[in-house]
Amino acid sequence: MTFFLDRLTSFFHGKPRLTPAELQAAFRGHYKEFRALLTANNNALELMAEMEQALTAGHPFGMAFVRGNCTALSVNIYKMIQHLTRLADGKYTELDQPFRAITKQLEQVIASRLVSTEGRTILPMTEVDASTVDQVGEKMANLGEVRNRVGLRTPDGFVITASAARQFIEANNLQVEINRRLKGLDLDNLEALYTVSAGIQSLISNAPLPAELEEAILSHHQQLDTGTQTELLVALRSSALGEDSSNVSFAGQYRTQLNVSREFVTQAYKEIVAGKYKSQAIVYRQQRGYRNQDVQMCVGCLRMVDAAISGVLYSRAPDDPRSPFVIIQAAPGLASTVVDGSAASEQLRVSRTAPHSILHRQAATEQSQSLTDNQGAELATTGVRLEEHFGTPQDIEWSIDQSGQLYILQSRPLGRTLSGETQETIETSAPTDGLPPPILRGGVCASQGVGYGPVFTVRSSLDLLRFPKGAVLVIETPYPDWASLLNRAVAVVSETGQMAAHLATVAREFRIPAIFGLNQALATLKNGHLITVDATAGKVYGGRVESLLALAAPKPNLMAGSPVYKILTQALVHITPLNLTDPASPFFRAEGCQTLHDLTRFCHEKAVVEMFTFGERYGFDDKAAKQLVVENSPAQWWVIDLDDGFAPDFDPESRYVYLGHIASVPMQAIWQGMVAFPWGGPPPVSLGGLGSIIFQSTKNPSLDPAVRSAMASKNYFLISKNFCNLSVRLGYHFALVEANLGEFLTENYVSFQFKGGAADENRRLLRIRLISEILTESGFRVEQKVDAMTARIEKKPTPFLLERLRVLGYLLIHTRQIDMVMADEGMAASYRQKIMADLLTLMDTKTEGRHDPGT
Amino acid sequence: MSEFSILVVDDEEEFVATLVQRLRKRGWASEGVLSGGAAIARVAASDFGVILLDMRLPDMDGGQVLQEIKKIRPTSRVVILTGHASASEGEEGIKNGAFDYLLKPVEFETLLEKLEAARNRGP
Repeated sequence: MTFFLDRLTSFFHGKPRLTPAELQAAFRGHYKEFRALLTANNNALELMAEMEQALTAGHPFGMAFVRGNCTALSVNIYKMIQHLTRLADGKYTELDQPFRAITKQLEQVIASRLVSTEGRTILPMTEVDASTVDQVGEKMANLGEVRNRVGLRTPDGFVITASAARQFIEANNLQVEINRRLKGLDLDNLEALYTVSAGIQSLISNAPLPAELEEAILSHHQQLDTGTQTELLVALRSSALGEDSSNVSFAGQYRTQLNVSREFVTQAYKEIVAGKYKSQAIVYRQQRGYRNQDVQMCVGCLRMVDAAISGVLYSRAPDDPRSPFVIIQAAPGLASTVVDGSAASEQLRVSRTAPHSILHRQAATEQSQSLTDNQGAELATTGVRLEEHFGTPQDIEWSIDQSGQLYILQSRPLGRTLSGETQETIETSAPTDGLPPPILRGGVCASQGVGYGPVFTVRSSLDLLRFPKGAVLVIETPYPDWASLLNRAVAVVSETGQMAAHLATVAREFRIPAIFGLNQALATLKNGHLITVDATAGKVYGGRVESLLALAAPKPNLMAGSPVYKILTQALVHITPLNLTDPASPFFRAEGCQTLHDLTRFCHEKAVVEMFTFGERYGFDDKAAKQLVVENSPAQWWVIDLDDGFAPDFDPESRYVYLGHIASVPMQAIWQGMVAFPWGGPPPVSLGGLGSIIFQSTKNPSLDPAVRSAMASKNYFLISKNFCNLSVRLGYHFALVEANLGEFLTENYVSFQFKGGAADENRRLLRIRLISEILTESGFRVEQKVDAMTARIEKKPTPFLLERLRVLGYLLIHTRQIDMVMADEGMAASYRQKIMADLLTLMDTKTEGRHDPGT
Repeated sequence: MSEFSILVVDDEEEFVATLVQRLRKRGWASEGVLSGGAAIARVAASDFGVILLDMRLPDMDGGQVLQEIKKIRPTSRVVILTGHASASEGEEGIKNGAFDYLLKPVEFETLLEKLEAARNRGP
């Protein structure tokens, strides 16, 4: 191909005469580049659409998606530039500069680090507050605020910082291996997910800590030991960066280890760092749009509180940010029994205002009251103070020790079931008439909504591996570990547990309806049983209850605002805006490309232009052309096969070709338009019918000074099966029609160039205006320059373009006469009417050579 | 052996050492071995309350070790503890008499609950 291009280029102005074989090779070469460019263009546009859709659809996507799509997009655009440069014989190399500039910006966006890991490896709790969040994570930063700013009691301790975790991972060179294992992991394959998760955690847990870090941890641990007789026990709490931000709870996703003695502190630390890769955490991050590097595991090491009673405190009702009371859940012992859902708890509603009276108290099953009224009031005061300090309702974990002192263990923004505006419960908003009797009722609404699906009971890890997508998760206890199933479950029913359980928090965040504490659930609900769970009303129905499902709230866009979402949004700034809209604009240049979309637009536009000029740029040996045999036609129509334009039974040695041998779909359409109607115009051109007109025009050079020889009056079709380039010189006019009808919509185009001569300027303008109007109405994009015009139509389905080719065929024959007969605008209007009527018929009719020119 | 004791079978030395140490700290007599052959030998010599068995061992397939153990001591409680999640392998294990199937990394407190459950079930 290069040979031909070189040869062609050197003769650009002189139009080298190519042999039929050379011409075919040149065409095939060009056409191959053109098609490859259009395929790349197609891919690029699809990738862009996919990325834009990701922002609005709310489906989870990770950095693998963003990075993968950006890379694929860049590759496709690079290909477009390469194909265009080859198609245009080395032109457009200047595109390289904007391409490099844009992709560099994209790379910077994708590589951005959102997590700061600089700083000390250990910070004592006395130094921790909101300003240290990048070192200690949000959970510990909040606890530092509680202690050092609000002045409430929290356990003594220290934080092992993000910097420490980074040093640990880097010292063992683990990140590459971790990324390798996570790459391409299919989260729908639970076996693969658990296996990869276990493998990564083992990798981290078994790696040695850097000696300096180990010493630092043990030394700070030593300082917590007050020398009392009992062994010092600590709790190690995960405090991931990004965790506990306003809409993302990460509830229970990471580890907390309680009652850890000195010899296990460093091992427990490593296990909590490894907990970043727990299966549910991997799923959760992906669902919520967090990259792995967005999360660094900071670990709080806090002295254990010798808890007499512990629990959870909501400064407002989770489903009502205006509630005038706090909600307290309490159980004897550690708070973990309340949050992991394993203990029945007492529930209180306490007024937010002094004297903080107990509005409601619901004891745990047959348990005596565990929390005094005074403790309830102290907790309510604490909840209100923390809400005021943090400026938003809080979800607080607390313990009261054996001496009655209240400790705050954690305070974070309260996730909500629904936004404050949609408080109405389904029970009150839904008509209860006509509903079947529920098969189960009761429990607490852990997460509002309605879900329908088959029951699947999970009792063991084995059940967990077999949990089908779209099932109702039925469990005895809402352990946080089941959270990895929430992206597969349509609803959750648990026999035990409260709304404070971590699993409930995650269910609310994902808007998975959940009823907890529903007695007899396991006995009543059998695997495969199709049920409708109305969590809001605390009822379970057999079968599908459409009237309830119709009320189900749409799922939230969980990705919005997440780090990955933000990165995709920033990346799209360099991708999708289209600045190059008008090819006629002086800014439609390579240097004007500011985005990848601009580059695709520019390459596509120029590729089509380059293909358009194929017929103009390459001369050909006359021997390549076969004369079209049309009976009684005085005009000369010559056809050159560029590839597969002739039927297989055509004899290549023949000098003539019949219409029946023409396999070119676009040529057939043009021809159909040309012969569809005989000329019905006024006397000066009606002599002898249409054939005579053509004959006259083509045989009488004196009619048009542009027609100077018999050769010039030959009209050439350059064809392949899907391609046609027709140069027509008929009397006064030169016209060029080119069409490509490919496999892909993006390959399809029809172009038309028209230039007229003779006649006075006024007539020429009227003629051009008339053609412009007709073509614009037919869907062409028309550009007019004095008495020359180009019209183009692209990316339309083949049937649509075939109709337009018939229109062009018609106009080629009929408009050439217009300015001969058109003296004024009135006549133009009358011909316009006639032409439009013909075209309407033509576009409606399957024309099959109703008239031949000259018949 | 009259004491209810735990045998940890896993080829990860660090894991075995830490788990055995932690179990002992919480009052459970325990020991560990690093291969299937060693596990079978220990079971032949002593009656363990619970055997925590990894499925991927350097010398033998875990399923095979399970069957050998059940042959020697049909009433022994074998808890499969594996990092290679496989529902079919789990089902096969339960069919061959495994007491439970757990996925690594198991929370220590959860493991203690399982051990309690095994102990309370009696011989």
